Amino acid sequence: MIDSAVRARLAHWALFLVLVFIVYFLRLIPANPGTRQLPDPYWVVIFGYAWVIRRPDYVPTPLFAAAVFLGDVLFLRPLGLWSAISIGGLEFLRARAQFSRELPFLFEWAMVAGVIVLMAVANRVLLGVFIVNQPDLASTGIQLLLSILAYPLVVGISATLFGVRKVAPGATDKMGHRI
Amino acid sequence: MARDRHSSEDYVRPVRRILVGLLILVLFSVFVIWRIDSPRMERFRAALVDRIVPSFSWALVPVAKVADMAESFQSYQRIYDQNQKLRRDLRQMQAWKEAALRLEQENAKLLNLNKVRLDPKLTYVTGVVLADSGSPFRQSVLINIGKRDGIVDGWAATDGLGLVGRISGVGRNSSRVILLNDSNSRLPVTLQPSGQRAILTGDNTSRPPLDFLERPELVRPGDRVVSSGDGGVFPPGLLVGHVALGTDGRLRVRLSADYERLEFLRVLRNYTVGRVTDTGSLLIPLAPANSVSALGDPLGADAQDD
Repeated sequence: MIDSAVRARLAHWALFLVLVFIVYFLRLIPANPGTRQLPDPYWVVIFGYAWVIRRPDYVPTPLFAAAVFLGDVLFLRPLGLWSAISIGGLEFLRARAQFSRELPFLFEWAMVAGVIVLMAVANRVLLGVFIVNQPDLASTGIQLLLSILAYPLVVGISATLFGVRKVAPGATDKMGHRI
Repeated sequence: MARDRHSSEDYVRPVRRILVGLLILVLFSVFVIWRIDSPRMERFRAALVDRIVPSFSWALVPVAKVADMAESFQSYQRIYDQNQKLRRDLRQMQAWKEAALRLEQENAKLLNLNKVRLDPKLTYVTGVVLADSGSPFRQSVLINIGKRDGIVDGWAATDGLGLVGRISGVGRNSSRVILLNDSNSRLPVTLQPSGQRAILTGDNTSRPPLDFLERPELVRPGDRVVSSGDGGVFPPGLLVGHVALGTDGRLRVRLSADYERLEFLRVLRNYTVGRVTDTGSLLIPLAPANSVSALGDPLGADAQDD
């Protein structure tokens, strides 16, 4: 007999994988290759972050790492760097999940935005240190901006469609444990 | 109960932290290895993509087709105008066709007189575009032919009209084509009729600029741009596009290949391509080595004479 909390957790792991698959799939569609002008947000990263702040147990680090690394491979990014950086961001937010539970959404948004901006800066700096060819600053900026703007949307979708909400302070699960 | 849970976390947390640190370290070393031995890691990437992408090509291609159909439905409103325009075009084309047939016959006769044989090396393999696997910063497509079909890194891909890009990364069943407007793409070109040489530099826009043009005043918008074959990467004389004057005043190229609708790509077989097999051969320029040996020989001869 599987505990309902465990079942919910497994279901959300699967859901996260499905989301990642959909995001990558949509990007791979060869509708009009070579003419894309606008970069798209870091969907997988912001989904992961929105979830980890709400329910840290729904986004296990290995799963997230595998998803982002797959993105590195498929989309011609330097292998491993962006995954390493985004895991850093994930763990930073995971450590503050408890603390940000009581905070208003605006504050959480600002925190995530700050983390993503820092990650992009770290990415650029490291690529610069290793003398790797980089995309221009403007498109990175646009990508960052779009990611930050997409965050409330992702949070909304997660809450309404997938039931990923913050746990109220002091709430308990069925066994009486504090969550 | 609640205390109980927290105390168990006290043991779990440091271990977790170490494991996460290890994971980050591993990923970072993957990055460093990628930086040091890029060709090998790119082969790994090609192999992995080759595993993943063709396995859902059954879905990718139909979805793209449906999207295209939706687009063409929108154009039904303009269909009458289009029809009229096509009729006009057709009349012109028929005149051209007559001219072309006459020229073809004449050409065949002349070739026969001269006993010219076309280069048999320039045959091609045709592949279907599987996926648009570029990030917004990289312009590339995956096609469904690979090592199995004898594809080699560095071959040119065209769409029948003009040059599209070059093969970079070959898996067993798939290979990647870096498009000419990718920011890493550099193509030596010749402008006709002025005969100027230039480098077509991809910059992620749909109209890549021309660099290293010696005398831009000789170039007019509308001039033909063909590959020059310098550097031995591409066969010379492949149509790339036409010169256009960008809004920023730079000379840019309007590519002949229809980048909006890349469906089938022809990969030209070209066995003279210099292959990149390891990082070392990228760094050492060949010309100085030759000149050194040329200088070295007389000295050696002197030494023997003595």
